[in-house]
Amino acid sequence: MIIGFDVICLCLILLCAILALYIKDLMGAVIVFGAYSFLMCIVWACNAAIDVAFTEAAVGAGVGTVFLVSTVYSTTRVDSFKKNRFITQLLMFFVVCIVGSLLLLTVTDLPEWGDGNAPANAHLSSYYLENSIDDTHVPNVVTSVLADYRGFDTMLETCVVFIAFIAIFAILRVRKSRTNNDETSKIFELLVPSYQKVDSVIIKTASHLMIPFMQLFALYVVAHGHYSPGGGFQGGVILGASLILLAISYDFKKSLNYLSEKKVILLVALGVLIYAGIGVICLFLGGNFLDYSVLSKILPATDSIMARSHAMLGVEIGVALTVMVSMYGIYLCLSSNGRFDKGL
Amino acid sequence: MIDQAPALIVVIPLLAALFITVIGVYKPRLSWILTVLTFVITSIFTIITLKQVVVIGPVYYMFGNWPAPFGIEFVIDHLNALIIAMISIVALLVAIYSKHDVKKELGDKIPHFYSLFTLLVTGLLGITMTGDAFNLYVLLEVSALTSYALLALSKGRAYIATFNYLIMGTIGACFYLLGVGYLLINTGSLNMADIATIINANTYSYAVLAAFLFIMIGMWTKMALFPLHGWLPNVYTYAPTSTSCLLAPLMTKVSVYVMLRMMTSVFNYDYIFNVLQWQQVIVALAVLAILAGSILAFRQDNLKRMLTYLIVAEIGYMVGGAWLGNVNGFTGASYHIIADGFMTLCLFLAIGCIIYKIGDSSLASMKGIFKKMPLTMVGFLIGAFSMIGIPPTCGFFSKWYLLSGAYEAGAWPFFVALLVSSLVNAILFFRIIEVGYFHALPEEEPNHNHPKHKRDEAPLSMIIPLLTTAGLLIGIGIYTADIVTYLIRPFINTFL
Repeated sequence: MIIGFDVICLCLILLCAILALYIKDLMGAVIVFGAYSFLMCIVWACNAAIDVAFTEAAVGAGVGTVFLVSTVYSTTRVDSFKKNRFITQLLMFFVVCIVGSLLLLTVTDLPEWGDGNAPANAHLSSYYLENSIDDTHVPNVVTSVLADYRGFDTMLETCVVFIAFIAIFAILRVRKSRTNNDETSKIFELLVPSYQKVDSVIIKTASHLMIPFMQLFALYVVAHGHYSPGGGFQGGVILGASLILLAISYDFKKSLNYLSEKKVILLVALGVLIYAGIGVICLFLGGNFLDYSVLSKILPATDSIMARSHAMLGVEIGVALTVMVSMYGIYLCLSSNGRFDKGL
Repeated sequence: MIDQAPALIVVIPLLAALFITVIGVYKPRLSWILTVLTFVITSIFTIITLKQVVVIGPVYYMFGNWPAPFGIEFVIDHLNALIIAMISIVALLVAIYSKHDVKKELGDKIPHFYSLFTLLVTGLLGITMTGDAFNLYVLLEVSALTSYALLALSKGRAYIATFNYLIMGTIGACFYLLGVGYLLINTGSLNMADIATIINANTYSYAVLAAFLFIMIGMWTKMALFPLHGWLPNVYTYAPTSTSCLLAPLMTKVSVYVMLRMMTSVFNYDYIFNVLQWQQVIVALAVLAILAGSILAFRQDNLKRMLTYLIVAEIGYMVGGAWLGNVNGFTGASYHIIADGFMTLCLFLAIGCIIYKIGDSSLASMKGIFKKMPLTMVGFLIGAFSMIGIPPTCGFFSKWYLLSGAYEAGAWPFFVALLVSSLVNAILFFRIIEVGYFHALPEEEPNHNHPKHKRDEAPLSMIIPLLTTAGLLIGIGIYTADIVTYLIRPFINTFL
């Protein structure tokens, strides 16, 4: 951590946050918010939390911004929020002051940055750092904590991604056969701006060149999560971003040819199923749920420790699959207003 | 197989949700029967676990076979064994009940509804069983996200109501996470039992205070304690019937459970009641919640909306009971989680039947309802009696424990508020009985000669869960002594 650099970063983050709230043009606010995410990512990296920074860059600044942009496109660009009454504002001010002062009060109790004797560093973290290699053969401790020691949390986080997709799909999806030749569909057409299909050779060629490399890199991120920052979430988001790029630069039809609506639903569920399925296999082999070590009984030429390492790769693939397809599916729902015909 | 039960209780609904999603693409009709089957199996496992806890004592389950502070642990003790049984039975009853209603209200979204439904219950069961503070947050996220989606599946004003809920719920979850963060800074651990031993060995610092305060505020927001209750009435009023039947009994009660768990298993009794000494303030808040809920309920002429305000009042019961800080108070609060869950379920199921047949739930359309839907109204009346607190329904016993707790603690305002709330409930429900029993059906006033045409009950798949719930209210009331001696007292003995 470099103090001066951090201070500059934090000031810029504050500025971005205030600007994002202040700007009345929502598209501008979204872009500023993207900048906010990038700065956050730098702060994480400065604090040596490379995995978190990676995720923030891929999700917060990358795909999150695309989602917000497509939402703004299919709704409205103007912020028409009613101004709060003076009493409400005063009340909010007091609440913020109380919470803020409570946070300030605790500053004296917080440990120094990088203090090795602080409880957060001394109690469990030291166990993970000392025993991760012996327990799991995985040098990247973040991955071993994420996918093995606290693997149940990660399974549920994957589930959250799955829920996010199913939720957005269930709420937004409109069937064509239902609204065809219907009053509501005409109103729908009027309310929702339809987009001119832009056939830009430059964009198509550029994304044509980029997509294979993005996907290759994503696969590397997924597979190399044991040894370097990365893993299922980050790799999955990059894969999803490559699919979204395909849908943006060409049209919906082309991307739906690769991955149709039905396949999207099946693959999202399959990803979580891979993760939970590995856990259930462990149950059948006589271990506890997600106790990967018993997998050595069915994996050829692996001892119980190596089995943990292999199973972690398996669950990371499940995570990557769910995240990839969810990101793509959420983008399709948001940008086409749930009609799956044309989008950005 | 039995020692894997704690994992299976969560894993079976989770896998079922995935299968429902996949099969729903091809055969949406199968999703209902799959959901019901899932919850039959889950209920069996929860009841086996409950029995095991009573006989042997708390059950511990280590995920990934990592010992407690390093991995994630499920701890099922006497309190949460009871609550997971309640959650799975409520889920089963609502799943059976939802068959016709979902077909009518949601159309082609049935498989998504059921997959979100099962995931929501997965989340709630997990929250109740987990012994890990961060795992609890993840499960909170699972249940919160699914509940937003389920509520927004309705149309019209439900969107705005759900959006408000989304903002409030997220703020609540953020506060909880902030609290857990402070605990991690202080202790370096996320396991509840581990945190408790480390915190109690040290002197209490401001950071511990902040952790406690943030976790409590987060949970109060989630459970809609009085000044933070704004989101609740609209959300439950505009939600699809089956969704509100599932959420109203479970969501707020699980938050109350988390508050109890945090007060007893993470921060200890001595810290909360002797060092901080906030009990007066919180009990006053609870009194306000009870009075405000009752008064606001009085002003509603829509039954469903009236019930949502009664939930706000009931939350006051449980928070007040827990913060009285004596054995009877804790007993009342813990027992009321179960009692109120089934009470709310019973009333919401009955109102769902009425909405299914009549189309709305305003007081004016209740005329002649007793003749039209006698079975539904039997269920409704038993639920109402329990809400008022008439023996032998379970509502009476929870109120009894809460009143004796208030008496012992000398918390007279709380004592009076409980009685006033009972009185208000009595007036509210007798108003419905008056309209429903003594006012004739509007279109039938000219000729009384066709009594057979008047009966028009909801389908059997809706009536059976309703009457089962009503039976459970009486059953739980009769077995109160057993529940208290074998389940709630052993739990209270661990910290008092």
